[in-house]
Amino acid sequence: MSFLAENFPLIRDAFLTTLSLAVVSGICALILGTVLAAMRVSPVPALRGLATFYVELFRNTPLTVVFFFLAFGIVYVDLQFPSRFITAVAALSLYTAAFVCEALRSGINAVPAGQAEAARALGLDFRQSLTTVVLPQAFRTVVPPLGNVWIALAKNTSIAAGFAVADLTALLQRLSNSAADELALVFVAVVAGYLVITLPSAWAISVLERRLAIVR
Amino acid sequence: MTSRPNGEPLVRLSGVNKWFGELHVLQDIDLDIARGEVVVVIGPSGSGKSTLCRTINRLEPIEKGEITIDGERLPEEGKQLARLRADVGMVFQSFNLFAHKTILENVTLGPLKVRKQSKGDAEKRARELLERVGVTAQADKYPAQLSGGQQQRVAIARALAMDPKVMLFDEPTSALDPEMINEVLDVMTSLAREGMTMVVVTHEMGFARRAANRVVFMDGGRIVETAEPETFFTNPQSPRAQDFLSKILNH
Amino acid sequence: MRITRYAAGFAAAGLLLAGCASEAGNQAEEAPETTAEVEEVEFPEGSTMAEIVEAGELRVGTKIDQPGFGLANTAGEPEGFDVEMAKIIAAKMGLSEDQITFTETVSANREPFLVEDRVDIVVATYTINDKRKELIDFAGPYYEAGQDIMVAAGNPENIEGPDDLAGKSVCSVEGSTPAENIRTNYPEAELVLYDAYSKCADDLRNGNVAAVTTDNVILTGFVAGAPDAFELVGNPFTEEPYGIGVQKGEDEFRDFINDVLEEAYEDGTWAAAWDSTAGAITGTEAPEPPSVDRY
Repeated sequence: MSFLAENFPLIRDAFLTTLSLAVVSGICALILGTVLAAMRVSPVPALRGLATFYVELFRNTPLTVVFFFLAFGIVYVDLQFPSRFITAVAALSLYTAAFVCEALRSGINAVPAGQAEAARALGLDFRQSLTTVVLPQAFRTVVPPLGNVWIALAKNTSIAAGFAVADLTALLQRLSNSAADELALVFVAVVAGYLVITLPSAWAISVLERRLAIVR
Repeated sequence: MTSRPNGEPLVRLSGVNKWFGELHVLQDIDLDIARGEVVVVIGPSGSGKSTLCRTINRLEPIEKGEITIDGERLPEEGKQLARLRADVGMVFQSFNLFAHKTILENVTLGPLKVRKQSKGDAEKRARELLERVGVTAQADKYPAQLSGGQQQRVAIARALAMDPKVMLFDEPTSALDPEMINEVLDVMTSLAREGMTMVVVTHEMGFARRAANRVVFMDGGRIVETAEPETFFTNPQSPRAQDFLSKILNH
Repeated sequence: MRITRYAAGFAAAGLLLAGCASEAGNQAEEAPETTAEVEEVEFPEGSTMAEIVEAGELRVGTKIDQPGFGLANTAGEPEGFDVEMAKIIAAKMGLSEDQITFTETVSANREPFLVEDRVDIVVATYTINDKRKELIDFAGPYYEAGQDIMVAAGNPENIEGPDDLAGKSVCSVEGSTPAENIRTNYPEAELVLYDAYSKCADDLRNGNVAAVTTDNVILTGFVAGAPDAFELVGNPFTEEPYGIGVQKGEDEFRDFINDVLEEAYEDGTWAAAWDSTAGAITGTEAPEPPSVDRY
């Protein structure tokens, strides 16, 4: 146990890196995914096509490949992210946004068409009917699928360890060699780190789900 | 009830055609609706009467022809159309109250978001309207907690809150249990008496006799016959109207 | 060839997680030619060699995650320069390959395995040092490794050694000994840690890091693959003489192994072993063999 105490600053920093990767990417993915979902249900065919292309591209590309492209691919067109942390956030956000979009779209489709019609009939424009009538109802039905996307994102942050971000998984790689005799403890610490992020989220999701449930 | 208002038609449909794929659902529709007029559209199912109603605020776009409201041509989808829709109230068969909002919020949403009224003004007006349609006590409940008749009356109040120039009713009582039909029709009748311009798609012949200035009979996507209610019900001219009336009046 | 695993499940899983197998592909595909020929020999009665021959089994501890030295192939059998060393020694004792039992030894359990007599020798990228000599003895060295630095061709940042890394970004692999060495002894350097050296090479090529550091044998492979892009500083700043671990006080056995090594240097089997293993990966010729240290 003194091993954990000695390495506490290391473990704490790695945990905070993983947590901020997940939170920052989660917020970016939620924003981008919402815009994409709006595009996918918009009346403009070009926007729908663009969003569909985006979703299919990122949903069907392995995350590691997205990381690789952003870390080593885009320099060939003279682009570069300011830091490796931001590269990781970009990869995670772009990738996760596709899943957020699909979760939201299924939620939007679950909102009866009459709701949007009534909003339009009142004189609300497309953006207003989406933001005040359709999305608030869609978000409620998508809490469970969005929760799954969030948990997947929290675990997907571990890919960043392979791209020079010192997260929990990188810590595992580091200590599994330099502290091979304490490997069991290292595992416990790292797994606990991930659980601290995902378990409360699972709990919060179920609370949110109950609170937001709407009677039809 | 037969006092005929004068002047330019408030709603004008001329040469309106619409297709659902191969299906020609509206064929060469010409219809003028005067300010203050109550027009009841009847016809067998599949006659295109609901579609006609929905083209007036462009919930259904048309392929050919022209629709004007208060002299203004219906614009393409966008801000202009939204502005115009605000002046056209609509009541749906399935109520379509916003499920995540309270009754009061349902009624204030349009005035707040579209008319940019203050919250105080919008709520004051909403409570007046709710009182008028008789659901004041339900103001803070959610739609699912109300009966169908109550929901439809709220839907009417929601449309009225926008101070529309014309009200469209798309089979407003078809989804209601029989005992609730009258409470909705009563509200509609009193609206008609107050001079609201109304287009009502319905099977309620009693309402048509009581409140309509004109009955439009549709079949196969065309307007087959237009007449004053008494004339229409006692002496229909077209064989198809005669056939239709014989079927429903014998019930 | 048999292989037994004493390593705990945790350790094995840890090695997998650490991604050590990522560079395994090249080597596992073609098994190296056997470089040793079995000979008939007689050993003095009671000697360790005689006991091993009598038992008909040479027990060897090696690594299975070190490309070029000791790496398990797809069949699970270790291959590499260390493995070839063990085969040469076995052959000089009159034992065939089938009579070698390989056991995985990770860095942390090499001394314990010798002390507890679970293995006869350890050939496992095993750096000779005095601390280890308190517990065991070393034959060799049979290879001189050292941590070196790779820079962009032309060395634009003028990096001549680890002290020049201060304030510069240097890339290595998380969890590796070279990374720990920089972290501990050159804290001024800004470490960038990937999970594979190939990514470091990409970053160096893109100009995102100033240097890449690890054992020279690995860097040599990158330079050989892209001589226009990279160059080796060629100034190893750690000495990693790889020795063959034997149990403490086995002086006779140690002498025997040293003799075997010197013979292998002379007759070309050492160089041939290099060419078929580490040399095949790095594309480099066999270096000058180090002289054995008969302390």
